[in-house]
Amino acid sequence: MSAPTVRRYELIAVTVIALLLIVVVPLLNANGVISHFDLSRYGKYLCYALLAISVDLLWGYTGLLSLGQALFFTLGGYMHGMYLMRMIGELGQYKKPIPDFLVFLGWERLPAFWEPFASFPFAMAMVILVPGLVAYVFGYLAFRSRIKGVYFSILTQALTYAASIMFFRNNLLLGGNNGFTDFKFILGHSLADPATSRWLYIATAVAVLLAFLFCRWLSKTKFGLVQQAIRDGENRVLFSGYATAHFKLFIFVVAALLAAIGGALYTPQVGIINPGEMQADKSLEAVVWVAVGGRGTLLGPIIGAFSINYLKSWATTAFPDLWLLILGGLFVLVVLFLPGGIVSLPARLKAAWQKLAARSARKDRDSPPAPDSASAKS
Amino acid sequence: MPHPLLSVEDVSKSYDGFKAITNLNFYLYEGELRTVIGPNGAGKSTFFDLITGRAKPDKGKLDFGTDPAASHDLTELNEYEINRLGIGRKFQTPSVYTEHTVWDNLVLSLKGPRGVFASLFHRLTSTDRDRLDDILKTVRLDAKRDWKAGLLAHGEKQWLEIGMLLAQDPKVLLVDEPAAGMSDDETDRTGDLLLSLAGKHSLIVIEHDMAFVKQIAANGVVTVLHQGTVLCEGKFDEVQSDEKVREVYLGRGKHGTR
Amino acid sequence: MDLLPVKPLACILFFVAACAYLVPAGAATPREIIARAVLAEDAGAKRDFIGQLMGQADPAIAPLLEAWRTDALFIFTATDGAKIPVVLTGERDEAGTQTAARIDTGAALTAANGQPLRLVVADLAAADHTSSLRRAMKAVLDLADLAASEPAKRIKAILTIGLAQDAEKLPALQARLAIEPEESVRRALRESIALAQLKDDRDAIKLAALGELKELRSLASTDFLTRSLKESEAAGKPALARAAREALRSVESHRSFVDFFGTLFRGVSLGSILLVAALGLAITFGLMRVINMAHGEMIAVGAYTTYLVQNIFGTGITIPFFGFSLPIFGLNLTGAAYQWYFIAALPLSFIAAAIVGIGLERSVIRFLYRRPLESLLATWGVSLVMQQGLRLMFGANNVQVSSPTYLSGNWLVNDIILGWNRVFVIGFAMLIVFGMWLVLTKTPLGLLIRASMQNRTMASCMGVRTERVNMLTFGLGSGLAGLAGAFLSQIGNVGPSLGQGYIIDSFMVVVVGGVGSIGGTILSAFGIGGIDQVLQQYLPYIAPGLSWVPGIGSFLQNLAQDAAVFGKILVLAGIILFLQWKPAGLFVTRSRNLED
Repeated sequence: MSAPTVRRYELIAVTVIALLLIVVVPLLNANGVISHFDLSRYGKYLCYALLAISVDLLWGYTGLLSLGQALFFTLGGYMHGMYLMRMIGELGQYKKPIPDFLVFLGWERLPAFWEPFASFPFAMAMVILVPGLVAYVFGYLAFRSRIKGVYFSILTQALTYAASIMFFRNNLLLGGNNGFTDFKFILGHSLADPATSRWLYIATAVAVLLAFLFCRWLSKTKFGLVQQAIRDGENRVLFSGYATAHFKLFIFVVAALLAAIGGALYTPQVGIINPGEMQADKSLEAVVWVAVGGRGTLLGPIIGAFSINYLKSWATTAFPDLWLLILGGLFVLVVLFLPGGIVSLPARLKAAWQKLAARSARKDRDSPPAPDSASAKS
Repeated sequence: MPHPLLSVEDVSKSYDGFKAITNLNFYLYEGELRTVIGPNGAGKSTFFDLITGRAKPDKGKLDFGTDPAASHDLTELNEYEINRLGIGRKFQTPSVYTEHTVWDNLVLSLKGPRGVFASLFHRLTSTDRDRLDDILKTVRLDAKRDWKAGLLAHGEKQWLEIGMLLAQDPKVLLVDEPAAGMSDDETDRTGDLLLSLAGKHSLIVIEHDMAFVKQIAANGVVTVLHQGTVLCEGKFDEVQSDEKVREVYLGRGKHGTR
Repeated sequence: MDLLPVKPLACILFFVAACAYLVPAGAATPREIIARAVLAEDAGAKRDFIGQLMGQADPAIAPLLEAWRTDALFIFTATDGAKIPVVLTGERDEAGTQTAARIDTGAALTAANGQPLRLVVADLAAADHTSSLRRAMKAVLDLADLAASEPAKRIKAILTIGLAQDAEKLPALQARLAIEPEESVRRALRESIALAQLKDDRDAIKLAALGELKELRSLASTDFLTRSLKESEAAGKPALARAAREALRSVESHRSFVDFFGTLFRGVSLGSILLVAALGLAITFGLMRVINMAHGEMIAVGAYTTYLVQNIFGTGITIPFFGFSLPIFGLNLTGAAYQWYFIAALPLSFIAAAIVGIGLERSVIRFLYRRPLESLLATWGVSLVMQQGLRLMFGANNVQVSSPTYLSGNWLVNDIILGWNRVFVIGFAMLIVFGMWLVLTKTPLGLLIRASMQNRTMASCMGVRTERVNMLTFGLGSGLAGLAGAFLSQIGNVGPSLGQGYIIDSFMVVVVGGVGSIGGTILSAFGIGGIDQVLQQYLPYIAPGLSWVPGIGSFLQNLAQDAAVFGKILVLAGIILFLQWKPAGLFVTRSRNLED
């Protein structure tokens, strides 16, 4: 198969999948073939796909295994959640103009930093700015002091851990361990209305498509070359005159933003955001999606996010006790035996098939060649 | 006498008590091809590490630039800043981007802006392509331009790394054991290439293979390092006949290729 | 037995005796007194009887008075018309009848023929009580503890009186002080007496009390001293005010002394905990460069092994697993023999975790030595499986690991509380550091470990069986984690996610110390532990000062109130900043490889 043919196949596949997700699924939902429950489930998976893409951009393409992507995802979710909380208005349990949990904590008036979140554009700006700033500051410090490899992973995990214990506190005034829930409206539309959730779903699918196209473009630029060179031999890149820290910082911030957008789309569709989403395990779960789907590929993370979460929602109802055993075991097996993930399966099967075919062809011949020469060739 | 392009003055460096470089003085002039020899552990690679910013000296000065008023203190710069000044290095063990194609390896090394945003919107001009094609021909990897560099043989990787140096077009080339893993014929060609570069560029070549040293040091100066300091400096013949050198280095074997 | 008629004279005699806290020989027992009080007609007489119980330590008093107060004390009228106060005991049968016990003797109520009588609640009249009587009972109950047999209980009762500044009970306290042998209780008595005397109207007594508090450097007296100071100033009594000020100063300086050494102790003990938890990691991560995310679960394995051993020494346990249940029989030991379980658990925790670790190394990690990120991920998968496995075997809730007597309790030195378990952890940390040093430097295995970790290829060329060394090293590291688990079971909860609480801290300790340096690990554990405790101790004092920060001042102040959480966050932020300064940790081990 020559390179242009591959490209044509890829183009066709992407177009078909994109049409399916963006057009066909919502149409089927509008006609009642796909239930609202399933649609919002797919919407959730798509949000997770964005998180997976952000993990892959760092781990698969740059060699930076960040265990902090769930933090950026959740931060994005919280920023949008703050807007949605303001939109509840006086429809909360306490019938007060401020969110219920603040009433519960004994607040009479809205704390100052909650004030501007009544504006949707402001909240969206914060979805970008807050995670972006956190990623920038942390990334700047980490990359400046050349923390890499597993040290980077451990530090990002520590960052996420620190943030999660902070978000669990009521004193942060962000809802404590219950987080935000009971949303009512988005941009004046009721979240209970199926049409609203359909549009949210479409927005998410479009976001995933755009993220995919962006990453595809990025990987073809010289930036992509440098990025992958950093993954394979960072010091060599330094000696080629590239300030690798700047490249890593850039991609770290971009990945944080992708995750944050995923989180912002997650909150209204799932209807709840709480600090549980930013625990260390969540980041690692996203890494599992990427590993299973196929890291260092563009489609892999999306496939992984969908398949593992599908498996999860099935297994947690069918075998609630065994789900973690399945997830953990699957992960160990993939890391050990299928480093390329699902995406690499066709090529692997093909190779195995050819080997098998070659062997049977050899058997057919009367005098098999000496085993030494055969093994030397393979 | 002109101002040296690279001056290393009274530089020392030790690792955990082991003195790799001791009070080293070294001057490289523009257009010069300098060969550095010395037994194992003489501090040759540490010497390159110090110049390229991979290691910082414990004391001493490393200045770069022919104009003393505008020279750069290399001890204050990091690896990529030093590289951007025009100091390129070929490592002892071939260091190429194994997952990239030969062509992409050269693209990454090509002289030009190195910033994040520049690289996002970078496009190869036709002049660039022509230059890369020429380099591919020079290093004889023309036919393997789409190969992954990791699939190349050891000698080919050496050539690719030399090609990467050429693409970068630096003022100073630091070349660490270029002939290792090459056939006699290839070694010969490498020597010719390095000689042809001298004049337009300045070179420091570390080498063990005495036949190769003899070839490239025909007109240049040879510096002998021993225990982290300069033992002797001069023409190849002078060095070869020097008593001290014979004692510490040549005495151990006529062709000290280990 | 016929009831004695109430004799006023005896009554007075008893009262006098009770005031002296001496029960004369041959006098009525507390049970008899209560029985009389129940039957007394007059409310005043009832109160007097109750008053006789003041300061008596008979354990029967408290439950009986409690029963009276809660209408569970009844008057039974016998067939001969005699009234007998009783409490109902024993199980209620179908007819609703229960056996009863006499108040005056504690013996079972019997009919004339000696058969136990069974009574029905509804047939009985509860002994009545008025609010003043209930107050009298409470006073008795409060004072009963003054004579309790355990010193700790006495101290508690004494301090309760002192902190309430209950001047009425001063005589009781002073009487107790005259006969109290225990030094720590005497101190509490002096403290409480002085506190109560602060309320006295006479300046001389107040002055003496202030002097006493100053001498005692009583931490509990701060608020009272401050109040006394204000009152004296308002009343224009300079001598008293000066004495109060001096007493306050002495108390405050004592407090900062106690705070400082208390913080130091907690810092050292937290450091020891971190060290114990991180030492295993210092071997697997530090020496072998294997990122074992299941390290926390190795700690949990050790803790659960301790739990199992405890149950084996006790009554046994049944472990459910995938529908099967595995009964483990107990030795049914009690007393001192049972207390030994913890000592037995130590080597077993090490062995259990080491076996699990070796299994993990053989099945997963050995394939990933050159791929650190992959080993991180695979071991995380293993950690999930192990956590869930523990959950399935031992339940999702925490299990009870009891502390042997030699590990429970406190040491109170100069008002500084030193928990024995924490003292033990400190000693234990020193012991295993020493043990590890011995293993690494004095044994052939140690030599092999160091050789293989420095240069695996070279070591294997020299004939070292690196595969075996890897396996044993990993086993050693995991075993140490298990040992840590045994100890941590004495300090925190034991649950399936026990290890998760320690994993991040452990990694931080090793990273800050410098990967590959055991000395660095030790230094960094104590450094992090110390800083954490200092922040927890002093953040609440600093918090009010944060209000100046523009915009988020009140927010920060709010957050800093959660000293434990905020301290932890500051420590993590500090670690990130520390790595700016020393990216490779405190102690650096170098390599000459380009991509190391």
